[in-house]
Amino acid sequence: MLELIWLLPTFPLLGFLALVLTGGTLPKQIAGPIGAGSIGLSFAVAALIAMEFIGSGEDYFVYEAWTWMSVGSFSPGFTFYLDGLSTVMMLVITGVGFLIHLYATGYMADDPSFARFFSYMNLFVAAMLMLVLGDNLVLLYLGWEGVGLCSYLLIGFWYTNPANGYAARKAFVVTRIGDTSMAIGLFLLFAQLGTLNIQDLMHAAEGEWEVGSGYAVAAALLLLGGAVGKSAQLPLQTWLPDAMAGPTPISALIHAATMVTAGVYLIARTHILFELAPSVQLLVAWIGLATLLISGFTAMTQSDIKRVLAYSTVSQIGYMFLGLGVGAWSASVFHLMTHAFFKALLFLASGTVILSLHHEQNIFKMGALRKVLPVSFASFLIGSLALTAFPFTSGYFSKDEILLGALAVEGVGTWLWLGGLIGAFFTGIYTFRLFFIVFFGESNVKHHVDKEVGGWHMNGPLIILMILALVGGFIHVPVEAVFSHGEAHDEHHVSGLIHGIMIAVPLIGIGISYLFFMSKTFSVEKLMASGMAQSLHKFWLGGWGFDTLYNTLFVNPFLFLARINRKDLIDRFYALIVALSQAANGMIVRTQTGSLRWYALTLVAGLVFIVTLGALL
Amino acid sequence: MTITAADIYLLLPLLLVTGTVVVAMTAIGIKRDYTSAAIITITGLLLSAIAAAVLMPGTNQQVTPLLIIDQYSLFFTVVTCASAMFIAILSYPYLLALDDNREEYYLLLGVASVGAVVMVSSNHFVSAILGLETMSMSLYGMVAYTVHSKSAAQHPLEASVKYLVLSAAASGILLFGMALVYAQTGTLAFSSLIDLSDSSPGDLGNGFTVLALLMITAGIGFKLSLAPFHIWTPDVYEGSPLPATTYLATIGKVAMFVILLRFMEASEALAFEGILTVLSLIAVASILAGNLLALMQENLKRLLAYSSIAHMGYILIAIIASYYAEGRIGIEAVTFYLLAYLIMSLGTFGVASMVSDSSKEYDSVDDYKGLFWRQPVLAAIFTAMMLSLAGIPLTVGFIGKFYLFFAGVEGALWMLLAAMVIGSGIGLYYYLRVIYRMLEPAPESGAFNRSEQTASAFAVVSVLFVLLLVLGVYPAPVIDLIEAISAYI
Repeated sequence: MLELIWLLPTFPLLGFLALVLTGGTLPKQIAGPIGAGSIGLSFAVAALIAMEFIGSGEDYFVYEAWTWMSVGSFSPGFTFYLDGLSTVMMLVITGVGFLIHLYATGYMADDPSFARFFSYMNLFVAAMLMLVLGDNLVLLYLGWEGVGLCSYLLIGFWYTNPANGYAARKAFVVTRIGDTSMAIGLFLLFAQLGTLNIQDLMHAAEGEWEVGSGYAVAAALLLLGGAVGKSAQLPLQTWLPDAMAGPTPISALIHAATMVTAGVYLIARTHILFELAPSVQLLVAWIGLATLLISGFTAMTQSDIKRVLAYSTVSQIGYMFLGLGVGAWSASVFHLMTHAFFKALLFLASGTVILSLHHEQNIFKMGALRKVLPVSFASFLIGSLALTAFPFTSGYFSKDEILLGALAVEGVGTWLWLGGLIGAFFTGIYTFRLFFIVFFGESNVKHHVDKEVGGWHMNGPLIILMILALVGGFIHVPVEAVFSHGEAHDEHHVSGLIHGIMIAVPLIGIGISYLFFMSKTFSVEKLMASGMAQSLHKFWLGGWGFDTLYNTLFVNPFLFLARINRKDLIDRFYALIVALSQAANGMIVRTQTGSLRWYALTLVAGLVFIVTLGALL
Repeated sequence: MTITAADIYLLLPLLLVTGTVVVAMTAIGIKRDYTSAAIITITGLLLSAIAAAVLMPGTNQQVTPLLIIDQYSLFFTVVTCASAMFIAILSYPYLLALDDNREEYYLLLGVASVGAVVMVSSNHFVSAILGLETMSMSLYGMVAYTVHSKSAAQHPLEASVKYLVLSAAASGILLFGMALVYAQTGTLAFSSLIDLSDSSPGDLGNGFTVLALLMITAGIGFKLSLAPFHIWTPDVYEGSPLPATTYLATIGKVAMFVILLRFMEASEALAFEGILTVLSLIAVASILAGNLLALMQENLKRLLAYSSIAHMGYILIAIIASYYAEGRIGIEAVTFYLLAYLIMSLGTFGVASMVSDSSKEYDSVDDYKGLFWRQPVLAAIFTAMMLSLAGIPLTVGFIGKFYLFFAGVEGALWMLLAAMVIGSGIGLYYYLRVIYRMLEPAPESGAFNRSEQTASAFAVVSVLFVLLLVLGVYPAPVIDLIEAISAYI
């Protein structure tokens, strides 16, 4: 059964090929089953493989599908590596991915480019599976770039609107900065350690590099660059909110559940390297903390339902980074999984809301929707509770583990814990701000809403995700063997007081949100009255001015340079090459006279030349 | 010397090709029929390819002093016969409308293939020259085949006279070199020179040997159209009818290269510094001259002629590398690239000949303008062939070039590799130019306006297309096979 692992990326790839080779002309009745069915088959295989793998008790399983070519010592291959970490990833990708695909068959039903949409989605899943299952850096990079490409294609899916194209380009360029850093990191690892196999690399690094050595720090930093780009962490977080320009199922699949967590996967996969560079590992924690706080503040001020969720995604991945940084590897992977459940749920539910309101995304034009949109209401309630780590929902367990991990770190641990706690407080506020504004209060809906958009293929996934978001915390993540030697297993004795604080803080956040947006005990208007609050609100609304900063620092200088260098200097060099080649061509074609006696002469002259030369040597 | 029944069994592929010619000739004698002559030839070539493939496992035997039947020669027998069969299929529609006797063309093609099979099985000067001349003589005829036709598309007479005169001169040089070898050693086996390579420099014998080797190199260099003996190539390619060009450019080159490889390995001629230097210069000159000449070329046949000069130069690098590099990587690289070259060239010429016939050839790059909008499938195949010639990944051309490059790196031939990189860079320009032309808006008239195409020719290019992709994506089995057979060289 385990040998069938190659089928996992193959099904979506075949789906992609089928949809693409027919030129996107397949009718929905066929394209839908192909698009969603291929992922369903993948999930079925993944589930069987996972059961057998976990049942077998092995630490890992390697399957060599085929070697591309074996020339001398160079033999890149399609080899899959399955361990606890990739098991979790593949189940999340295929499982949540299948639910989202199923949902999308309903959501996208009226779109004229239905088949094109599913072809991109299938290609994405294939690339993502390649990324998490590959055993060498080449496959990892193939998947990494593949998901980046699909993300670009899908953000700009409705390409007739130039703004969407701009958002797609922004996402591509910003993540590209991280990708470049990561590529250099991979080259460095390959050049220094001489193998492409990830596991061998980690062992070699452990053997050859000392803790804190220059190479280890450099390699870890470069990989971290790739991770922050893909996972939208500080300072490359600016692309994710704009990426919401894509269709909502895309936001759920790519920009919440799977692709944006690739950075977390990368760091977890190479955690040995990060342990060799403790300073970089601590940097990961600080990046995570800063990101989660900044985007938490920003989320409180947004008015677009998807942008609130986008900032919340950035913030939650910040938690995962925090966990990685403090060495709570399995807690981070755990949070990755639970986040995939509840964030996919929230995004899909927001999709239903948006579609039911005829593509209205402004939360201040909603309100009092709990009766009108009961399924969305239930989904949002459960998703929000899980997101705010309400006790015994899935988010509670995973966030709890991360914060306890932070607390266990000596020295700065208390500060990291405190920061995470503040983040949790704001999570409570912004999540339930959204919830109360959308589903309670006065109705500000302009267009008449007949009924909730639904059908089994949209509501089914929502119901399953609701269950997962509720009880997902009881799923055991089988990653002990992966992180066996890196994790502090000694149970810190944590007092009940600390547990109490960790439960109470988000609840206080929810309570404050209730007082502001539900019972209106406090008034937002009053709070906003002062000038300082106004400017702070503006600052947060604009995502802490990062876009402006980058425009001033990078984009405008670049455009300026491009303008003054309109007659490209470097191009001159290439123009010279062209001119040289053409001149050489002009000279050499004169030898082709077409005259036989000249041809015979060159034959003899050539012979005389080489004989003379050979005789002289 | 006696020939046993077992020997005859081993010679079966060769005998089958020969028999095919006899059967076809008899059939034509009894009743002229174009279709049956074609079918007999195609069937015979297919049978001999199958026979060679069946014989292949575990065969390694010298049959008479002239022929070596081992896995390597049988591999190339399969390849040669299969290619000849493809060319025969592609020739059929081309000559269909010829207002002259058409049947004898297949006799010439069959006899040329006899020569080619002898060439790839040769490790003796006598068989080499016999095979070579058998093939060349038939090729003169094939090149000039449409000469009496009033509506002939090309200039077959000019091409064939040029080819005849120059090729005969080159054969003369080659024979002179062989005579010098015979004067030294008294035998004509490729391996006869091996004892002479360690005689001291300045020795008269040594001088003779080097002279002999250089003359042989020059003769072979002409047949392979390596610089500075390349000048005839474009004129002959352009003037010949397309199927003859295809034969000349594919089997003609590959069979000759097998002889060069066997000769260089058996005689250890590369131990002479003079030979090494001359070969290196020839390689660099061929790569640069071929690519530069092709740069602005607007005639597809001439363009492919120039590009074949460059490709032969690339392969020569691996031959030189086989002297420096450890193991057999050089030989493997040569073998793989020859296979790749056959597939790409057959495919390119195949597409061109699918739309041409004996009265009208579409051989200007401009004729392919807008092909994508008229015939997307054919254009995709043609694009793949061009990309493969340029060495773009996921095509067989990339793997082949990578193999050559790897062999060059193993042999630390940095100057030659630099030439290869520069050459490939220039090459990309003119290959992409053809692709670009196909994407332009389609003009009202031009090639591929005709919608009817022979299914058999289409099948041939499709098979080549699939081979090109399969070997580009999953070359491992073929690489394993080539590693195994290269041990016999």
